[in-house]
Amino acid sequence: FSFSGKMSLKSERRGIHVDQSDLLCKKGCGYYGNPAWQGFCSKCWREEYHKARQKQIQEDWELAERLQREEEEAFASSQSSQGAQSLTFSKFEEKKTNEKTRKVTTVKKFFSASSRVGSKKEIQEAKAPSPSINRQTSIETDRVSKEFIEFLKTFHKTGQEIYKQTKLFLEGMHYKRDLSIEEQSECAQDFYHNVAERMQTRGKVPPERVEKIMDQIEKYIMTRLYKHVFCPETTDDEKKDLAIQKRIRALRWVTPQMLCVPVNEDIPEVSDMVVKAITDIIEMDSKRVPRDKLACITKCSKHIFNAIKITKNEPASADDFLPTLIYIVLKGNPPRLQSNIQYITRFCNPSRLMTGEDGYYFTNLCCAVAFIEKLDAQSLNLSQEDFDRYMSGQTSPRKQEAESWSPDACLGVKQMYKNLDLLSQLNERQERIMSEAKKLEKDLIDWTDGIAREVQDIVEKYPLEIKPPNQPLAAIDSENIENDKLPPPLQPQVYAG
Amino acid sequence: MAQAHRTPQPRAAPSQPRAFKLVLLGSGSVGKSSLALRYVKNDFKSILPTVGCAFFTKVVDVGATSLKLEIWDTAGQEKYHSVCHLYFRGANAALLVYDITRKDSFLKAQQWLKDLEKELHPGEVLVMLVGNKTDLSEEREVTFQEGKEFADSQRLLFMETSAKLNQQVREVFNSVAQELLQRDDGEGQAPRGDAAVALNEGPARQAKCCAH
Repeated sequence: FSFSGKMSLKSERRGIHVDQSDLLCKKGCGYYGNPAWQGFCSKCWREEYHKARQKQIQEDWELAERLQREEEEAFASSQSSQGAQSLTFSKFEEKKTNEKTRKVTTVKKFFSASSRVGSKKEIQEAKAPSPSINRQTSIETDRVSKEFIEFLKTFHKTGQEIYKQTKLFLEGMHYKRDLSIEEQSECAQDFYHNVAERMQTRGKVPPERVEKIMDQIEKYIMTRLYKHVFCPETTDDEKKDLAIQKRIRALRWVTPQMLCVPVNEDIPEVSDMVVKAITDIIEMDSKRVPRDKLACITKCSKHIFNAIKITKNEPASADDFLPTLIYIVLKGNPPRLQSNIQYITRFCNPSRLMTGEDGYYFTNLCCAVAFIEKLDAQSLNLSQEDFDRYMSGQTSPRKQEAESWSPDACLGVKQMYKNLDLLSQLNERQERIMSEAKKLEKDLIDWTDGIAREVQDIVEKYPLEIKPPNQPLAAIDSENIENDKLPPPLQPQVYAG
Repeated sequence: MAQAHRTPQPRAAPSQPRAFKLVLLGSGSVGKSSLALRYVKNDFKSILPTVGCAFFTKVVDVGATSLKLEIWDTAGQEKYHSVCHLYFRGANAALLVYDITRKDSFLKAQQWLKDLEKELHPGEVLVMLVGNKTDLSEEREVTFQEGKEFADSQRLLFMETSAKLNQQVREVFNSVAQELLQRDDGEGQAPRGDAAVALNEGPARQAKCCAH
């Protein structure tokens, strides 16, 4: 298929007229195509996609080979021991070719294929038309392999040596599949130890680089081994998983208060952190590499620390952390918890597990699980009777609280009930205010009436009598009795002139 | 180099200081976290944890060499006592912390020591007894003499501190670091084969004891 084909198909489909032929599979098999499959029908698309992917992988391999050959030649010319070198290299080459032909499925296939290291194309064509059931897994495994080789390329000779050892180890592990998981774990641990040691003594790789390389090796081998060594049938890991799952389910009534968890989920930020922490711890199961699983635990722990810090306004100590982690595990009930812990313990690079921050949080998770298994009435500050009653499911401590909703309801529903509660409280207050207002109004009216009545009474009691003044105010000269005796005022006289 | 990878005793590379794991043990509220926080905080070189105070690392200089201390805080509440043995795995040193104003915390520290001895081989871990809260000496219930005598009888290091007043805190960690280096050097001089055998026992046992 080509990119331009995809484009033209898209533009045509956007138009009003769609030719019948445009709808059909581009390969002309007669089935309808789909733009999501770039115009192919599902079957043809799968084939095309597979071919393209194989081609890409092959190209990468050829590049890797070429680079390594150049490297090898350069090395051989500098060293006089040419014969021995080329011998080991041809072995290396062969293994790599085998690796290429090994198409996800099983290592068994890989070995049978090794006998016919013929034309690569032949092998690829033979395989292309059979889409694998584990395509998802195969894509990831291929991707990891490619990354691993890319990574090793940067280390030249040492990288090659490491690749050789890793392949040998994986081959060996195939034959050890019937051994107990403890023995297989032992092999993996020995391998980690030997590779790291060789790198330091022979390769003279500085320690911080060794660590980086070890991480990549772990990723590569564990992506491949995961299927066979995670929760293997020969162990009772699965039984333990179910047991702890059942136990956690039986303990769902445990409240944060009983565990003395210093986290207040009423603060939205804190409840966010709690949700994130639960998501992280559940996500652990989806990872294949032990180190990635550890990273999930560390992420979860960081969210827990944040939740405690927001609640308490001070950084959390171990006294706060462990109870909260227990609470998160109880609330999250992470899938295949025991299997994951066992897998990490058995197959993680030991230096990462015993020390370092990841190791610390992992140990705390182990403590939390051990605590949950042993948890009793005393550890929750409950009486034995109460504990037994809660465990049997007869009563739930939450029912005693005023919460009318289910304790398992989702956050949204809980929030809704809380809001409804608040609304009814507000309604109540509103009504109270209304009645108070009415009362106030009545009081005011009564008061006015009362005052009016009192005034009336007083007015009646002391009627208002306005007596006419005894003397007119104007008679200011009234006391002047001699008035009449005064000479008359001067009269104007008119003189005729 | 052989034992370096399989045990927490880190590889002896000159560019990287050797790392040692130190666990803080003791009852609740005796000041384990405060002690560690005080120690780590008062040094500009250490990286302060942004959110939690439960796991610290600190590079300590002892003479010409330096080592990396990894400090693991543990939950001290009584109810977690039964699971705390998981913290001991791979520990190089342990601080048994008690509160000098609480006799029960001193007795508890003795209990911790028994637990430690159950989980680890004698001599595998360096233990120091620490009486904290000397700032509250008027309420003292455990005398210096009592602490010292117990420590001597069990061949532990001993010190009294005040995390609050920052008294003797540095000294505690420094003397542990010094002792660790001395022991480590002593081991290094021992015949290689013997050391490898002894050390190889560790991880195998550790791998299994997680399978609870």
